[in-house]
Amino acid sequence: MEEELIQIKNSAVSLILDAKNYKELEELKIQFVGRSGRLTLAIKEISKLPKEKRPEIGRLANEVKKSIEDTISTQEIWTKKETSDELRQKLDVTIPGIKPQIGHLHPMTQVIYDVVDVFKGLGYQVADGPEIETDYYNFTALNMPPNAPSRDTQATLYLDTRNSKAKPGEILLRTQTSSMQVRIMEKIKPPIRVIVPGKTYRVDDVDASHSFEFWQVEGFLVDENVRLTDLFGTIDYVLKKLMGKDIKIKFATTNFSFVEPGVDTYMECTVCKGKGCSFCKMSGWSEIMPAGMIHPNVLKAVGYDSKKVSGFAFAIGLSRLVTLRYEMEDLRLLTNPDLRILEQF
Amino acid sequence: MLAPLSWLKEYIDIKLSSKELSERLTEVGLSTERIIREGDDVIFEFEITPNRPDLLSIIGIAREIAAIENKEIKYPKVKIDLKKVKPQKILPLKIQTNSEINPRFTGIIIDGIKVKESPDWLRERLIKIGQRPINNIVDITNYVMFELGNPIHAFDYHKIKESVMKVHKTIGGEKFTSVDGISYRLPKGAVVISDSEKIIDLCGIKGELNSGTFENTKTIFIRVPVEVPVLIRKTTTSLSLRSEASSIFERGVNAGGTVDALKRCVELVLREAGGQIASELFDIKKEVFLPWKLNLELKRLNKILGISIAEEEVLKLLLRLNLNPLKKTKDIIEVTVPTYRNDLKIEEDLIEEVARLYGYNKFPKTIPQGQIPIKQIPYLKDYEIEKKAKSILVASGFSEISTYSLVSEKDLLENEINPDKTLRVDNPVSREFEYLRPSLISNLKKALLQNKPYFEKINLFELGKVYVGSNIDDPKEFYFLCAVSNNKNFYEVKGVIEKMFEDYGINEEGAKYIEIFDEGIFFELNFSDILSKINLSKKYKPIPKYPPIIEDLTIEVPEKITARDITEEIKKQSPLIESVTFQSIFRNNRTFHIVYQSKQGNLTTKEVARIREKIIEVLKQKFKAKII
Repeated sequence: MEEELIQIKNSAVSLILDAKNYKELEELKIQFVGRSGRLTLAIKEISKLPKEKRPEIGRLANEVKKSIEDTISTQEIWTKKETSDELRQKLDVTIPGIKPQIGHLHPMTQVIYDVVDVFKGLGYQVADGPEIETDYYNFTALNMPPNAPSRDTQATLYLDTRNSKAKPGEILLRTQTSSMQVRIMEKIKPPIRVIVPGKTYRVDDVDASHSFEFWQVEGFLVDENVRLTDLFGTIDYVLKKLMGKDIKIKFATTNFSFVEPGVDTYMECTVCKGKGCSFCKMSGWSEIMPAGMIHPNVLKAVGYDSKKVSGFAFAIGLSRLVTLRYEMEDLRLLTNPDLRILEQF
Repeated sequence: MLAPLSWLKEYIDIKLSSKELSERLTEVGLSTERIIREGDDVIFEFEITPNRPDLLSIIGIAREIAAIENKEIKYPKVKIDLKKVKPQKILPLKIQTNSEINPRFTGIIIDGIKVKESPDWLRERLIKIGQRPINNIVDITNYVMFELGNPIHAFDYHKIKESVMKVHKTIGGEKFTSVDGISYRLPKGAVVISDSEKIIDLCGIKGELNSGTFENTKTIFIRVPVEVPVLIRKTTTSLSLRSEASSIFERGVNAGGTVDALKRCVELVLREAGGQIASELFDIKKEVFLPWKLNLELKRLNKILGISIAEEEVLKLLLRLNLNPLKKTKDIIEVTVPTYRNDLKIEEDLIEEVARLYGYNKFPKTIPQGQIPIKQIPYLKDYEIEKKAKSILVASGFSEISTYSLVSEKDLLENEINPDKTLRVDNPVSREFEYLRPSLISNLKKALLQNKPYFEKINLFELGKVYVGSNIDDPKEFYFLCAVSNNKNFYEVKGVIEKMFEDYGINEEGAKYIEIFDEGIFFELNFSDILSKINLSKKYKPIPKYPPIIEDLTIEVPEKITARDITEEIKKQSPLIESVTFQSIFRNNRTFHIVYQSKQGNLTTKEVARIREKIIEVLKQKFKAKII
C-alpha cells in the first residue's frame, strides 16, 4: 500500500510537470484526483486495512494528495497564462499595477553613495571621524594658528566646557571635514587616497542657501609627484561623473590656509543654466569644490617631507551638490522630513 | 571691498568690459561678488581672501588688473618730500613706543588747518565705496587708507595732554569711547596710546572720542602705524569690534608704505584744509622694512604644476606682478617681494603666483599616476554595511529622513532627557539648536507629527549620529538607527529588526529595542554597537539529500509561557528536529511548525512518531500543555 501511494505520487508529479497546456493538465487532474482517479481509488482501499495501520497510511495518503494538488495549482498558473486568452480579455490591463509599498532613501544618502562609488573607482578609501573636534585638528594643524584672520571665514560653534578639564574654545563642532586630514596623515605614510563624507557646523543663519549644519566630503591624495594638473583632472572627472558630462566647470585662484596654490571650482548653475538666479546669487555659477595643493606646513605638521611628497586636497559641498543635482532651490528641503519631498527620491 | 571703475581708471587703463574684467579677476583670486551699475559708473564688490591685505585698497586692485593686462600702473603723484621739509614752527611732541607692540610709528603735526565739509569729489568717492563723509580731515585719512591700503588716524593735537603719546598695553577694564560715540571696557593686553592722563587711541582699531578731529580742531597729529596682527586680532575678537583699519592690520599691513601714505595724506590735507607742517617727520622703527628675497626653482615649479612653462614666460609673469625676478643660476630665479605682498613667504606662494597669472583654465587635466594604496586607513568606514540595513528598511516601506544634530532643551525635556547631562553648545545660533542630540527619537516623533495631516501610513527612519557624555572631557559619538511606524504592528516592526540581525549574523532578541508610544511603534538601536558585532562571513551548507517530514503541532498552554520557551523545549527533544518555528496564535492555542530531517536517510513515519510523542510528553509535563 505504502509503495503504491508513493508510486502514484511520483508518476503524477512528473506527468503534471510535463503537461504542455491547460487541457492536458485538466486530463491529468481527472486521471489522478478525479472521482475515479488513481489516488481516489487507492484511498478508498485504506478502510480495508487492519486498524492499527490505518492512521499512518492515512497520513501518507494525505501528504501525497497535497503534493499532487500543489503541483497542479503551480502548473495551472502558467498554463492558464499561456492559453487562456479569455481570462486576459476580462482584465482591464490599463488599470495601474499594485506597486510594492517600499520607502525612499534620502537624497543626501543617494548622493553620498554615488560620491563614494566614484572615488572608490579612483582608489580612494572612505573614512569617518568625529564631529566634536579639537581646535588643533580643525584649525591649528591646518596652518590656521590661533588668531589667524583666516579663521574669520569659519564662524565656529564651541562646546560648553564647564565642569571639564578643557579650556573654553578648545572643543568645537568641526567647521570642515578637513579636520580629518591630519588625523589620518599622522597615523600612516603616503601613498594616501582618502575621502571623508560627513556633517559640519558653522555659526550661520538659516536661509535658502545657508545653514548651521551642512554636509561636506573632504578628499585628499598624497604621494610622490602629485601635480596641480592631477587635481584639475580629478575634479573634472568626479564632477562630470556625479553631475553629468555636459556640465560646465571653471577654476579660480583662492586662499585657504591649508593649501598653496589654492583652487576654487565653479560649476554652471543647474537651476538657471547659467542665466543667473537667486540660488547662484545671480552669477550663473555656483561655488562647488574648493581645493588646492596641500600646504607644506600641513605636511610638516604630520612629519612628511614636503620636498619628497606632495598632495592635493579638496572638499565638495554635499548639501549644495544635492540641491544642484535635483534643482532644489532651498537647502532647507534637505532637513525637512516631509514625505511629499522624500517620496520624490 | 567696493571698488568703483572710475576710481580704478585713475591708476590704470581698462579696456575690458566689466563682465570680462570681473571674470578675469575672479580667476586670479579676486572673487567678484556683485557688479553694481551706478549712473555711468560701475562698482565692483570683491571678496578679499584673508591672505591679501593689499587688496583692501584701490591701488592694490589696480595692481592686479595691471598684472592681468600686462600694463603699467600710474601711482598718484606726490610732490612733497617730508624728509626735507623745514617747518617754520615746531610744536613739541614726546613719543614713547615699543617696537614689540608697535613695530612702526610714522607721523607728523600739521598746524592751522580749517576743518570743514569735504569737497564734492572726495565725498562722492567715499559714498560710492559705502563710507559716510564726516569732515575734510577724517575723510582724507579714510580716503588715503582706501587708496593705498595703510590705515591713518588724525588726532586733535591740542587734546593730547602734555604733548605725550605713550604706546602701551592695557591692564584690562579701562573705559574707552570710540570716535563714533560707543563705549567699551577694554580687555587686557589691548595696545593703546595714552597721553599724560588718559587713553586717546585704541591702536589699529578705533580712535578715542576725546582726541578726534572736529570742527574746532586747529592742529592735528597724523599717525600712520604698523601694528602687530595677533595683538590687534585678540582685541577685535574680544571686543567683537572690527574696522576697515583692523582688517588690514590683522592681515599684515604694508610696513614699507607708511611714509608714502603719510605724504599723500599730508599733501591732500594741505590742499583741502590749509595749514602747515609743524614738526619733523616721526618714523620710529627698529627694522628697516625692506622688500625680501625668495627663490623659485624652475624644476620644482613645473613638477608641482604638472606643466612646463618656459623660463622666459615665468620671468615675464613674475615681472608683471612687480616681483623683480632675477635669474640666479641655471634653475633658480630670485624674486624681490614688495612690502605690500605679506602673503608671499615660501616658494609655494610664488608657484601659485605664476600659476594664477598663467591662468588655471589653461592647464591640461591629468589623472594621478601613483599606485593605488592598499593598506587599510585608520577611521575606515564601510558604507556597504549600512546600505544593508537601509535596504531592508526601505524594502519594508520606511523612508529615510535626515535631521539636525542640534536640538532644543524642550526637545530633551519632552523625551525625559536631562539637559544637564547633555552636551551643549556655548554659542548656539538659537535656543532651538542648543544641545547635541543623545537620541534620534525626538526628531522622528516630530517628523511623524509633521506628516500626519497628509499621510495615513507613515514609516520613517534615520541613521545618524548621537552624542553622549556628561561633559566634554569624554564625548562619544555613536551612530544610532531609529525608526517609527504608525501602521505596522509590533511583530511587523520586530520582524524588520530580526531580518536585519539575520543579515548581519547577529543572534539577539529584537524586541528589547522597541518602544510603543501613542504616536506609533518606535525602535532605536546603537548602530555602532551593532557594527562591532557583525559577522558577514557566509559558508555554504549542503542542502539535504533526503526529503524532510513536516508537521504542525497545535497546543494550548498557559499565557505566561512564551513562544520561545516552547520552541527551545521542542528543539531539545531530538537532533533530527531541523527547525521549529512559531506559526500562529489563537487565544491560547499556539501552532508550531516542525521540520524533521535526517542527513543519513529517509525518515520513517515511525521515527517521527517516536519524537512527536516525546515532544508531547515534555510539553505536558513542563508547560501543562494540552494537545489540540
